[in-house]
Amino acid sequence: MTGKRSASLRVLGRAETATILVFALVFVVPIVSDNLFVFSLLNQILIASMASLSVYVMLRMDLLSFATPAFMAIGGYTVAIASLRGLTDVVFLTLASFVLPALVALPLGALILRLRGTYFVLVTFVLTEILQLILFATPNWTGGSNGIAGIPALTLFGLALSDNRSVLYLTAGLALLAALITAAVMRRFHRHFAAIEENEVLAQSLGLGVWRYKLLGFATAAGLGGIAGFALVNMLLTAHPSSFTAVAAIDYIAYAIIGGRASMLGPVVGSTILVTATNFFGGQGRYSQGLYGLLIIAVVLIAKGGIVGTIARIFHRKTPTTTDTVPDTLRAGAEGL
Amino acid sequence: MMGPGDPTLSAELRVEGLAKRFGGVRVFQDLSFRLGPGEVLGVIGPNGAGKTTLINVICGQLPPSAGHVFLGKSDITGRSPHAVSGMGLVRSFQQTNIFRSATVRENVARAIRFSGRGQESWSRVEPLLQEFDLVSRLDEEGDKLPYGLQKMLGLVMAYATQPKVLLLDEPAAGLEHRERARIDDFLRHARLIQGCSVLIVEHDMDLIRRLCPRILVIDAGAILAEGNPVEVLVRPDVIRAYLGSEDEEAGGRC
Repeated sequence: MTGKRSASLRVLGRAETATILVFALVFVVPIVSDNLFVFSLLNQILIASMASLSVYVMLRMDLLSFATPAFMAIGGYTVAIASLRGLTDVVFLTLASFVLPALVALPLGALILRLRGTYFVLVTFVLTEILQLILFATPNWTGGSNGIAGIPALTLFGLALSDNRSVLYLTAGLALLAALITAAVMRRFHRHFAAIEENEVLAQSLGLGVWRYKLLGFATAAGLGGIAGFALVNMLLTAHPSSFTAVAAIDYIAYAIIGGRASMLGPVVGSTILVTATNFFGGQGRYSQGLYGLLIIAVVLIAKGGIVGTIARIFHRKTPTTTDTVPDTLRAGAEGL
Repeated sequence: MMGPGDPTLSAELRVEGLAKRFGGVRVFQDLSFRLGPGEVLGVIGPNGAGKTTLINVICGQLPPSAGHVFLGKSDITGRSPHAVSGMGLVRSFQQTNIFRSATVRENVARAIRFSGRGQESWSRVEPLLQEFDLVSRLDEEGDKLPYGLQKMLGLVMAYATQPKVLLLDEPAAGLEHRERARIDDFLRHARLIQGCSVLIVEHDMDLIRRLCPRILVIDAGAILAEGNPVEVLVRPDVIRAYLGSEDEEAGGRC
């Protein structure tokens, strides 16, 4: 049992470790390169990864959410408004960009997490649309249709993070944090989310307070979205409603599903491939959207479990998912038969 | 005669004046009955009589339109399914209801964890796993099991939560004849070892006769008859409710 147990933990940790390592590796890039295109591409990939990790957390509860851009907006505008008022410390802004969306998600989740399927999708879509209206309708706070421009350089322990390298370092740091939060929540509540995803009614009948875990997941997803919004605003040096439309949610959902929803590495792989492809096809003029669409169709047709899921299936590493110990007699029985 | 609401009767489960409507459609109304400690109560009735809805309402998956449900002395009416489960009232499902992509071991582990039980619960479920030949399949995924074993795994999971009251929704449905004896084994464990009270909704009249000293017949949303199955199942109104004719005997054909 011990062997199986450690194998199970290893498998669970493999995708998480890979994700964290990939994000950590980005810190090396500014040391070995000064290519601004690479910096920009990596920023986009990391931001997309964070946003699609938010989608991933919701997918693990079998909920498809279009609310990610709304939470990104809350995080992003929090950073923009605070920094214009002199609060430029990265640690404070990171905390605020995670906590505020998560706090908003708690009462919101209490209202909408009872919905399932199409109804939940529609409500989250409408939520993002409503937030857009709020952004346009509150120019004193959000700059309305002009957004908030002229965001000052953020600071870390008094050091200004103003150049392109610093922006990438900050984005990578935020991505690393997002990965750690996702890994911590998913590892701690792996069994609960898996049960909710597969059979919520059964999980409830066995005593699981499903609603409580959904609320936790929703708040976590909101916080991850908020961090992604922080990174996006920091990269663009502006907070604008057009960065947080409901249509953007389709991209993040595509990254998570195409990359693979079974592990947190999936959204990262999906974001990396599709953001890179978008940049590549973007140079092909009028064919870019069509080529991008074909790529999505091709991947979905070939890899139904997503890219990571398909690769995992090819290797077919089948291991028990429980880390529970069973009595020796039971184990002996199982091995003897 | 003492009624189901009589407080002098001890009951693990007491249902008083329970009603359920969906809009203008009445599923059942004014249902009252009790389930004593360690008792096995059969609930029978034709399709559409409201038996599964009754289970759904008792365990909190649907709110009642009227009436109350008591578990011991606690009024559990309208409580959430997980809260009701946590208080010791657990149900099984008519269709196989397991976590299909999880292994047998993980299925049982989830039941133990979600019900807040400890690792020692494994030794409680071990005899049942042995009895249902699930020990050799602990690392198989649920959907790889034959249908009968999936159903038994669902029952083992309910048992693993250490319930006080079990609501079994057609446990024998879809099982081959030779597999149905496993329901007897399961009930023996549930009653004699776990000390459960059990309510069984079932169409297999042989099984009902064998296992239930008392049955309720529900027809058109009301209790048509109550008592010993040997006596109740030959009543003309019960036969008529099941078969639509007094010429046939209900027993063994339903």
